[in-house]
Amino acid sequence: MSGEIVRAQLLSCSYREGRVLEDISFQVERGDYVGIVGPNGSGKSTLVKALLGLVTISKGSAQLFGHSLSSFRDWHKVGYLPQSLHLVNPVFPATVHETVGLGLLSLKRFPKRLNRSDNQKIDLTLDELGVSDLKHKLIGELSGGQLQRVLLARAIVNDPELLVLDEPTAALDPETRGRFYAMIADINRSRGVTVLLVTHDSGAIGEHASKMLYLDKKILFYGSFDEFCHSPEMSSLFGEHSQHLMCHRH
Amino acid sequence: MNLLEILSYGFIQRALLAGTLIALLCSVLGVFLVLRRLSLIGDGLAHVTFGSTAIALALKLYSAMSLLVSAPIVMLASLGILKLTEKGRLSGDAAIGLVSALGISVGIILASVGGGYNVDLLSYLFGNILSIRSEEVVIAALLCFGVMLLLTLYYHELFAISFSDELAKVSGIRTSYINAILVLLTALSVVLAMKLVGIMLISSMLIVPAASALQLARGFKVCIVLAALQGCSSVIIGIIISIMSNLPASASIVMVNLLFFAVACVVRRIIYPKNSN
Amino acid sequence: MKTALSVILVFILAGASLFSAGCKQQAEVAPVAGLQVVTTLFPLYDFARTIGGDKAQVTMLLPPGVEPHSFEPRPEDMIRISRAGLFIYTSKYMEPWAEKIVSGIDSRSLRVVNAGERVPYQPGGSHEHEHGAREAGGHKHDQKGMDPHIWLDFANAALMVDTILDGFVAADPGNAAVYRQNAEALKKRLDALDVRYRKGLSSCANRTLLHGGHYTFGYLARRYNLEYHALSGVSSDSEPSAERMAALVREIKSSGSNYLFAEELLSPRLTETLAQEAGVGVLMLHGAHNLSRDDQAKNVTFFDLMERNLVQLQKGLQCQGK
Repeated sequence: MSGEIVRAQLLSCSYREGRVLEDISFQVERGDYVGIVGPNGSGKSTLVKALLGLVTISKGSAQLFGHSLSSFRDWHKVGYLPQSLHLVNPVFPATVHETVGLGLLSLKRFPKRLNRSDNQKIDLTLDELGVSDLKHKLIGELSGGQLQRVLLARAIVNDPELLVLDEPTAALDPETRGRFYAMIADINRSRGVTVLLVTHDSGAIGEHASKMLYLDKKILFYGSFDEFCHSPEMSSLFGEHSQHLMCHRH
Repeated sequence: MNLLEILSYGFIQRALLAGTLIALLCSVLGVFLVLRRLSLIGDGLAHVTFGSTAIALALKLYSAMSLLVSAPIVMLASLGILKLTEKGRLSGDAAIGLVSALGISVGIILASVGGGYNVDLLSYLFGNILSIRSEEVVIAALLCFGVMLLLTLYYHELFAISFSDELAKVSGIRTSYINAILVLLTALSVVLAMKLVGIMLISSMLIVPAASALQLARGFKVCIVLAALQGCSSVIIGIIISIMSNLPASASIVMVNLLFFAVACVVRRIIYPKNSN
Repeated sequence: MKTALSVILVFILAGASLFSAGCKQQAEVAPVAGLQVVTTLFPLYDFARTIGGDKAQVTMLLPPGVEPHSFEPRPEDMIRISRAGLFIYTSKYMEPWAEKIVSGIDSRSLRVVNAGERVPYQPGGSHEHEHGAREAGGHKHDQKGMDPHIWLDFANAALMVDTILDGFVAADPGNAAVYRQNAEALKKRLDALDVRYRKGLSSCANRTLLHGGHYTFGYLARRYNLEYHALSGVSSDSEPSAERMAALVREIKSSGSNYLFAEELLSPRLTETLAQEAGVGVLMLHGAHNLSRDDQAKNVTFFDLMERNLVQLQKGLQCQGK
C-alpha cells in the first residue's frame, strides 16, 4: 500500500481579496499526525478545504490517496470535522443518531440505505466517544462540547484512513479540549488513522502531533515536531519564550 | 346542505383525493426547501409560471398544451435560482425575488405588448381545488408517486445536503446534482399543481406544514412524517369546514394549516419550555 | 449556471420580439383629421365607431382577451387619451380604473362620458334567485354588488347609445347631424335585435339559464323572462364554495337542462367540472366586454356576438323557431 495520503503541489488559492495560499507543496504519509498552525487569516482552513475540494484551487494541484481531486471517488476513506459553529442550523430537527448516520453515506451505493449493522456501528461510535446517552437528542439541544464530539463521531463512523479536523476545539473549555486531543491521538495511534488538524492553539497539539506545518499564506515550516522545536527559524518567528512554551511538554 | 350528500359529489371526491396527493408531495418537499432556506421558491416559481403562461397563450397554446412551454421555462428558472445562490453569491430569498420579479414583469409586458390574447391570462393561470377533472387526479397521482419515489431514493442525499453542503461533498455526494433534483421536482410540482389547485394553496403547503413540523419533530424522519400528516389532514379538514360553513375551499385549507402551526407553537412551549424563545 | 439564465432570457426576448410587430401596428397614433375618441370596452367601441362613422377615429383601450378588471394602461394609452376629444367608459363598477386615468390627464379639451349614467342598474345576482344573492354578498343595494354588464339588455344599450351620442354632439357640434343619423340607425338595429331575441326565446322547452361562472347575463335573462342561476357573484375575486357548487349541480339536474353555459374568454374549468358532474354539455356565451385576438382580426361587431349568443341560447334552452 502506498504510504502517500495527501500531496499538494504548488497549490494556490485566491479569493476576491487576493491570494490566500501561495505555492503550497507538501506531502503527508500514512499514520502522520500533522498539526497545521499559523496566525489568524493565514489560510489554514482554506488549505484543508482546498485539499478536500471544497474551495476552488486557482493554481497547482492536490491529490488524495494518489488520485487527483477530480478523479477521487473513495470519499469513504476520508472523515472531516469542520468548524462546527458555522455549520449547524440550530433548528435543524435531526437527532444525534441520524446526524452520525450521515457519516456512513460515503460507504453506500445508490439508493443509499442504512441497515441494522450500520445502526450498531453508529451506537458503537457514540459509545466510544462517550456520548451514547445523547443518541436521541436533537443536535440543536447540545452544548458546544457535545456537538463537537457528535460531529467527530460522524467523521470517524466510516472508519476513515484520513481524518481532517478544522479548529475542532474552538468551542471547548480547556479541560474538555485536553480530553478531545487525547481522543484524537488515540484514534491516530490505535487505528493508524492519518490526521490533519488545524488549530490556532499550537501549544496543545505539540503533545501528539508528529509533524508541524506552520502556515502564513506560504509554508514557513514543515517537519517533525522536534525539528520545529529546535529550529532557529522558529525562535526568530515566535521568540524563544513562546517556542519554549509550545515545546516544553515534548 | 348535508355533509354526506355533498361528499357524494364527484368534484368533492376529486378535490379530497387530488388535494391530499398534492398536499403530501408539497409538504414533504417543503421540509427540504425550508431547511435549505428556499421557502419562498414556490411563490417565485409561480410568478415565473405567470410569465411563461403569457408566452404560451401568446403562442395560442391553452391548458395542457401550455405546460409544454411553461414547464421547461419554470424548471430552468428553478435551476437559475439555484445557480444564483451557489457559492454564496446571493442568499436564497434574494435569488428567488430576482427570478420571480423577472417572471412577473415578463408576464405583464407580454400581456400588454403582445397584442392581446384569445382568452384571459389570469383565469387560465389559477386552478381551483373544486374544479379538478378525473384525468387530473391521475396527473396528481403520477406526480405524487414520481416525486415521492425520487425523494425516497435520494432521502439520505437530500438529508445530507440540507444538513450541510460541505459535509455532504466530503461524503462523496454530488451536491449540485442533488440540489438540482430538489428544485426541479419543486418546479414540476408548482407548474402542475398550480393549474390544479392554485398558487395560494401550493405555496402555503410548501411552507406551513414544514414550519409546524420543525416546532415539534424529534428527528428528521419524524419531521417529514409530521409535515406530511399535517398537509394531508389540513386538506381534508379544510374541505369539510368549507362545506359546512359555506366558505371557499382553498382559503379554508390554508387557515387550517395556519391553525395547526399555532397549535404546534403552543405545544412546543408546553413541552420544551426551556428551548422555546 | 449562466447558461440557464441566458436560456430564460432568450425565451423572453423571443417572446417579446414575436409580438413587437403587433405592438407597432397599435402604436401608430398618427394624428388623423376628425374627432379622436377613446373607449374602454368593446360595446362602447362598437357603438362609438358606428355613431362616429367617418367623422371620428375611435380606438379601444383594452387589449384583446384581457379582463377589464386586470387592465393597466400603458404610457402610450395615456398619450392617446390626452390627445383625444372624447373618452367613453361604462361605469365605475366595470372599470374602476377609468376615473383614475382621466383624473391624471391634464387636457381641457377632453370630454369624459360615463356611458352607463342613464341605465337603471340592477344588483348582480340578488333579484332572481336566492343562491345567487348569497354569493353576491347578500346586500341587495350594495353598490359593489351592482351588475355592470348593462349592454346585455338591448334597451340599456340604446340608452348608452343616447349618452354616447350626447358626448359626440357636445365634442363636435359641427357634425351633430351625421352623428344623430348614425345613432338612430344603430338604435333601430338594437330594436331589431331585441325583437329577434324576443321571438327566438319565446317558446323554449327550458327557461332556466344556468351559468357555471361569475354573474354576467342577468340583464339578458330578465329581459326575456329567463331564470338565471350563476355559480358565483359579480366580483371576479370571489371563489365559489363547495356547497354552492353542489347546489348548482342540483339546480342543473332539477331544471332538466342539457347544457351549462360558460363565458367566452375565461377559463371554462369550473364550468366543465360542474357539467361533467351533472352529466350535461357546455355551451359558450359571450359577455362582449372584450374580443379575442382572432375575433378582433375578423372585425367582429357587437351584433355578431349577440347573434352567436342567440344561437347558443336557442340550442341550450331547446327553443322552437328560428
